Amino acid sequence: MNSLQSLPAEAPDHADALLERVADIADGPLAALAYRIDQEGHYPLEIMRALGEAGGLDAHLGEHPRFDLAIGAMQRVARRCGTTGFLVWAHQVCGLYMARSGNPALAGARLDAHRRGARFGGTALSNPMKALSGIERMALRARPDGHGGYRVSGVLPWVSHIAPGQYCGALAQVRDDRDRIQGEIMFLLECDDQVELRPCPTFSGMEGSSTWGIRLQDYPVGAERLIADPARPFIAEVRAGFILLQAGMALGVAQGSLDSILEVEGQLGHVNRFLDQRPDTLRAELEDLERRAGLLAATPYDDSRDYLLDVLDLRTQGADFALRAAQSAMLHQGARGYALSAAAQRRLREAQFVAIVTPAIKHLRWEMDRLCREQWPAGEETSA
Amino acid sequence: MSDHDQRPWRQYICLACGLIYDEEQGDPDGGLPPGTRFEDIPDDWECPLCGVGKGDFELYEPPAAAPAPAAPAVAPSRDSIVVVGAGLAGWSLVEALRALDQEVPITLVTACQGDIYHKPELSVALSRGLRAPALARESGADAARRLGVTLLAETFAVGISPALRQLRTTRGAFTYRALVLAHGARPALPPALPEPLCWRINHLHGWGGLQAALDGAPRRVAVVGAGMIGCELAEDLAHAGHAVTLIDQQSGPLAGLLPSPAVDRLARHLDRLGVTFLGDTGVATVTATAAGRTVHLEDGRSLAVDQVVAATGLVTESRLARQAGLAFERGIAVSADTLATSVDGIHALGDCISIDGAPCRFIEPIPRQAEAIAHHLLDRPHPGYRHRAPVVRLKTRQLPIVLRGAPDPALSWEVEHENDDYLALRQCRDGETTASLTVGRPPRRDAA
Repeated sequence: MNSLQSLPAEAPDHADALLERVADIADGPLAALAYRIDQEGHYPLEIMRALGEAGGLDAHLGEHPRFDLAIGAMQRVARRCGTTGFLVWAHQVCGLYMARSGNPALAGARLDAHRRGARFGGTALSNPMKALSGIERMALRARPDGHGGYRVSGVLPWVSHIAPGQYCGALAQVRDDRDRIQGEIMFLLECDDQVELRPCPTFSGMEGSSTWGIRLQDYPVGAERLIADPARPFIAEVRAGFILLQAGMALGVAQGSLDSILEVEGQLGHVNRFLDQRPDTLRAELEDLERRAGLLAATPYDDSRDYLLDVLDLRTQGADFALRAAQSAMLHQGARGYALSAAAQRRLREAQFVAIVTPAIKHLRWEMDRLCREQWPAGEETSA
Repeated sequence: MSDHDQRPWRQYICLACGLIYDEEQGDPDGGLPPGTRFEDIPDDWECPLCGVGKGDFELYEPPAAAPAPAAPAVAPSRDSIVVVGAGLAGWSLVEALRALDQEVPITLVTACQGDIYHKPELSVALSRGLRAPALARESGADAARRLGVTLLAETFAVGISPALRQLRTTRGAFTYRALVLAHGARPALPPALPEPLCWRINHLHGWGGLQAALDGAPRRVAVVGAGMIGCELAEDLAHAGHAVTLIDQQSGPLAGLLPSPAVDRLARHLDRLGVTFLGDTGVATVTATAAGRTVHLEDGRSLAVDQVVAATGLVTESRLARQAGLAFERGIAVSADTLATSVDGIHALGDCISIDGAPCRFIEPIPRQAEAIAHHLLDRPHPGYRHRAPVVRLKTRQLPIVLRGAPDPALSWEVEHENDDYLALRQCRDGETTASLTVGRPPRRDAA
């Protein structure tokens, strides 16, 4: 059991204590590992385990869900290491899928182990999220197996926070025996010996995210693995929360960049004052984003169009802001930030990741555009 | 060389990761020399990026290049005055700014193309046989060039952070020197009238769609809502030869605005034109059928039509205002003399505003509002905007209806003049005329 469950989750000192425990891990052991995680591919499961024990992986779940705390924990982690911030997000959303699946096989002890960081799993929803928005086609296909379950085949090019013995939430398009589309299912894909994990190319950073290609051939999905059937109503329910939680990554990378700027202010402030995007400007924007994230975190299952637009806007601005802050940190730090071991240059790549991980800035804008457009009779769509 | 080898090189795309295999280039690292045809690739070859087999590739034909945007894509200046909305309000403000200052950078953000047209014409243009392109007086791109503004067309404003002076749009975020909201109001559609089944004519594009859908033959059209727009449209549609049914919750057309003698005359007029009025009922649902639409009324009746037009009033979108912390009361609340919103650096004008809690959705005040804001933004002296009740002129051509002043539903109307073709009424308080109403054409005065 999570040691936190005995405490009333809404108590302010509980929240502060949780964030303090997370910050201790992030500022201590995690900060020391950041280079190895980024460049040498160290997959920091020991950190994730510690974060789980500290309550940093499940604040958004349970009887008193606190999305603000989940985002705050992720921000503290990403401030020291963007890759681990990303792992926290992947882990948190996987927990969200399991907790809201209503499937007893995915709840109980199974979910408890996930919540406290004793078992690990991520999310393979990049392709399905884009597919459901009409951006690309669904990569996995499921056929009914005749016994109430499905057989799933296909290839996902890159899925993070998985490894043999771990798992991820995945989605497949259901086709009948005449290849007609029959909707979608969402399921927990367990990386057992029926799943082929294939190495990905070396990326420019974020190497410790344990990212693999997945190939499935007639992978069995029985009732015990089903998260949602049909999947679309479930996706509609968790979509805003999925995107909102990512704010923690953006805020953390931006805050780390602000740290890098302030670190050299005493020494270089006399010339750095000629730069734009100075720390006071960046801090004002960080606080504006934190404030709005906090407001939106209070109602993560609001299904209105306006709420989703607010979340998409926040996520887009967060990514854009992380890019600007990371760029500014490089300009403020100069050559010392350009060293391969320097946090400033690592954050450039982390911020770029925040901007391109699904939903990427371009997808977010595509989606906001779609939501803002009026619909017209006869299938015609146009702008307001 | 066989024929096989003379075909142009082809490209194949990996359906998993998007990598493109180009036959001309081959995949030397994967053992495929340049010039390896896709069909000659061995089955055990794998995508060099993600590792799927050749079965997960398909022929790739590069999409045709997108047409160049009509307006040059100029990065908005950080010092711009940013205007959201390119209807009459947005363009009026730009004109007013340019009349005072040729240099100040202006960025205009609009969800549409920004074409300039006269919106009131939309409710009378069908019977004139016009089409949408003929109603546009100037394209948005041309107007932007003429007035020297950066036009961001097909762009939605999605967020405002006043403390940062930042506007976020679907084409990027930028800071503003001053922000002016002129985004108008949108049709207030009740749940019974879903967007994919009902036309709205709140802007040129929607009107163009209805016009195209009706073109070529007399159609059966249901107009829901017998307010000003609904009555004008019903007359226009009837003149254009269509069979019109006008539906309203009230017992007569414009009964929410006009006293009963005027309503009766308007009802007779519409009846003579062949418009069927169904009062005292609302629409329960609209369903699509193979032949068109079925409108199910709350009183149990239903009617089969070809098209449905919703004229159920307008409402101001509140999300942007709420996010920016602007006071909002049935519209963006603005000061009656400065048009300033409750937040520093943001003004608003046109259909999206409310003054003392009352929206004002008429054309006449807009250029005067624009003048006041433009002077304020450029620090030029100006006496301020003076709000007054606009003259309401119903564009029912054969039975013009004109309402002046501030009618009070609690006061009775006195008859000033009445004959078969003309009715003149007025409301008085303490001997002063506070409102007047004329229905029909006044009798001609013969020269004495």
